[in-house]
Amino acid sequence: MWRKTQVFGIAAFVWLIELSIGLDVPAQTSGTLDSGQHFDVSQAFGPGDVKEGYESADYETQSRSLLSRRGIKQDLIQIVENPPLGLPPVAFPADNPITRAKIDLGRLLFFDRRLSINNTVSCANCHIPEQGFTNNEISTAVGVEGRLVIRNAPTLYNVAYLQHIFLDGREISLENQVWQPITARNEMAAPSIGYVINKIKRISDYDGLFEAAFEGRSADIATVGYALASYQRTLLSANSPFDRWYFGGNEDAVNESVKRGFSVFAGKGQCSVCHQINENHALFIDHQFHNTGLGYAVSTGKTAAQKNKTTSVQLAPGVFVDIPNETIQSVSRVESFNDLGLYRVTENPADRWKFRTQTLRNVALTAPYMHNGQFATLREVIDFYDQGGIPNELLSPFIRPLNLSESEKTDLEAFLESLTGQNVPRIVADAFAAQIGELSKDDPNWAHQNTLGF
Amino acid sequence: MKKLIVFFLTLSMPFLFSLPVQADETCMSPYIAKITGQEDYVYVWTLGVEGVGDEQDKLVTIGANPNADNYGKIVHVLSVGGRNEAHHSGLSDDRRYLWAGGLDTNKIFIFDIHTDPAAPSISKVITDFADVTGGLVGPHTFYALPGRMMVTALSNNVDNGGRTGMAEYNNEGEYIATHWIPTDEDLRGATKSGQFADGYGYDVRVKADLNIMLTSSFTGWSNYMMDFGAMLSSPEAMQRFGNTMVVWDMHARKPLKVLDVPGVPLEIRCAWNPDNKYCFTSTALTSQIWLIYEDDSGEWQAKAVADIGNPADVPLPVDISITADDTGLWVDTFLEGKARYFDISDPHAPKQVYEQVIGSQINMVSQSWDGKRVYFSSSLLGNWDKTGEADEQYVKLYHWDGETLEHQWSIDFYENGLGRAHQMRFGSYAMYGKLNPYIESVQTARTQPSEEDPTRIQTDS
Repeated sequence: MWRKTQVFGIAAFVWLIELSIGLDVPAQTSGTLDSGQHFDVSQAFGPGDVKEGYESADYETQSRSLLSRRGIKQDLIQIVENPPLGLPPVAFPADNPITRAKIDLGRLLFFDRRLSINNTVSCANCHIPEQGFTNNEISTAVGVEGRLVIRNAPTLYNVAYLQHIFLDGREISLENQVWQPITARNEMAAPSIGYVINKIKRISDYDGLFEAAFEGRSADIATVGYALASYQRTLLSANSPFDRWYFGGNEDAVNESVKRGFSVFAGKGQCSVCHQINENHALFIDHQFHNTGLGYAVSTGKTAAQKNKTTSVQLAPGVFVDIPNETIQSVSRVESFNDLGLYRVTENPADRWKFRTQTLRNVALTAPYMHNGQFATLREVIDFYDQGGIPNELLSPFIRPLNLSESEKTDLEAFLESLTGQNVPRIVADAFAAQIGELSKDDPNWAHQNTLGF
Repeated sequence: MKKLIVFFLTLSMPFLFSLPVQADETCMSPYIAKITGQEDYVYVWTLGVEGVGDEQDKLVTIGANPNADNYGKIVHVLSVGGRNEAHHSGLSDDRRYLWAGGLDTNKIFIFDIHTDPAAPSISKVITDFADVTGGLVGPHTFYALPGRMMVTALSNNVDNGGRTGMAEYNNEGEYIATHWIPTDEDLRGATKSGQFADGYGYDVRVKADLNIMLTSSFTGWSNYMMDFGAMLSSPEAMQRFGNTMVVWDMHARKPLKVLDVPGVPLEIRCAWNPDNKYCFTSTALTSQIWLIYEDDSGEWQAKAVADIGNPADVPLPVDISITADDTGLWVDTFLEGKARYFDISDPHAPKQVYEQVIGSQINMVSQSWDGKRVYFSSSLLGNWDKTGEADEQYVKLYHWDGETLEHQWSIDFYENGLGRAHQMRFGSYAMYGKLNPYIESVQTARTQPSEEDPTRIQTDS
């Protein structure tokens, strides 16, 4: 965890310096916020409730004030129309070209908790801007009424390029995808698509916005998808130190450890087989699904935590106890969930425990890691792959023991930490400025005296 | 005869409404009129459970007067809609309304309990708590101040974590102000006395004579709504718990000092005697009793003064209740289902003197002013309660003679299709100058006046 602290700290420091220089220069040269704007960029690189070092009895809080979490709206269309260094052009669906009006509307929907059945959960509940558009604070996501989501919330950075949506690949487009979390019983639990559309139409915040964005067309199953997809498509992040070195030719953009780490990544570690780098860009994905053994081990009770009779649980800074797993089971409702990955979609037994390759861009910001958030640090992930994953009959042929040295692991970690995009503060600043949709006196009283309304 | 009854009632009215301003069960605001005698009802704020009855939250009213024919019975059920994560409730200073919150939906239900104490009704529902307060989530404690209701929150609507504040409302349910818990970035004039200023919130209590207000700290929405087992297994989640209490200037609503109280300090119980310048809390995860006290130099301090069971076993202390004479403290431990009684005559060295298992799980405890009746309920949080057969849901009454708890009755909240029983508050007809119509003597007096013994119809006040 201390390494994450370093990443956040160093990144924030670097950005503070860059911004202090570039605050008053045009956005295109500063590459950060729109021109002339001030934003405390250190807020963009992790939870405001800072817990680094919490394992130690010497831990001291560095908590931020919620009142200082204020942002500035950015012109996000600039990002998606001119992707940062290291990313390819974005292909827009023929029926959903990008516009500012759609982006603004999608942002409004993204942060609106009223889209859930009980007005408590928005997209941003699980995809928190300053936490890498994921949630650094819990391993697996939590939905309406605290219902279990069995997977770690994936980052939304660079989802514009995905061919398969969700870690099991069950959707084909962002436009379609948006309805799944909204209506999933364990996420936002809206009772139906029509119910949500009707609710949106009755919220005054949306008056005229759909019509303006879609040539007179009001909220419907397509336009809600178009708008939300448009906002998510703008969350492009690259021009990282790695990009400036590898694609930009700036030898000083990264240090020697990062360069050695890249050699491990592309060579001995064979990470780039799945986390691919192309000639002119790098998405660090292969659009494929792989069995690393992690899902298999969880499903079959073979993880170290499951084999042990106790679990180490932290009670306070520096205070840990071993709690019998029997005790944890007595207050647990998770025993019936096995995550079989791609198999859940194809029902092909060969697809058991396969999950979609996830991007490594901004990976330093998206802990905890893997499909179930099992690993807290990048070093744990590296160690997992170094040991060759977990053997099983369907283990990916690309997963095998790597025999990395400690210095190679350190370099590999440095490389991964060099993948944080330069425009993260800009995207986060924009998100901080977004309106959070809460029940207000202006709303129909569906919090207590709701009617179908249709 | 009716004239005589009215005469005696009239005589008693001034006493009814000039009671010392203290709480009934011994843990509430000093600004609330108290029931020193027999309570007539226990109002149980109850969580709806899927598959149980109508599956929604409800206020359950239980007869509590042993002289009434509804004693130990469910007399009224008021379903409110939704599973809001019903949790705590608190009485208004005039004791005419009961405010009850939903930690998930942020709804606040204000129940009228004075028009018909046997059948509370909804007077108002606040649905815009998060919106008007600037993003507070999880209304928890409802604590009466003169003309006001202080509502602590547990979370916020931007990262669903533990940084939060308190919202102040007037008695009409109108929002007044938000008081943010100090963070490192914005201590709001307070002193960070130790390592922590996490900005977390949970409970609030006052030592009014000292103009001191105290708050404690728990965790945010992501954790308290999460499956307990999943949370215990998540190292990230287990780092998101409160380790602080804050001393406030009560009248100015300004934080003065942030105290380190590691391990999740939850309920706060302040001594009643003005000479006893201290309050207690228990830490849920580290299983200790902490004393928050004013030292000889007038400085507020915090120190651990006793272990609760074996902390290494994580018994999970939850609700605590102080006796009216400041000599005893009930401590419930959720995972053990056990109630412990500590002698706190020496507040710096509490000693456990009694313990008894109440059920497979336990959370809240409410005692009568004289400490002779102690009520227990079972539910901690909707997704934290035990599973399977260990998920008992109940309200139980015990009599306490100073040495032993003696079981009187139990109500099974599942068997009765109700849900998970959480916080219990007391109601009394005497508070409103009324007589309990379910007492036989009252019924008799109304139909067959008895001039020989007019006091038969009087109840304790």
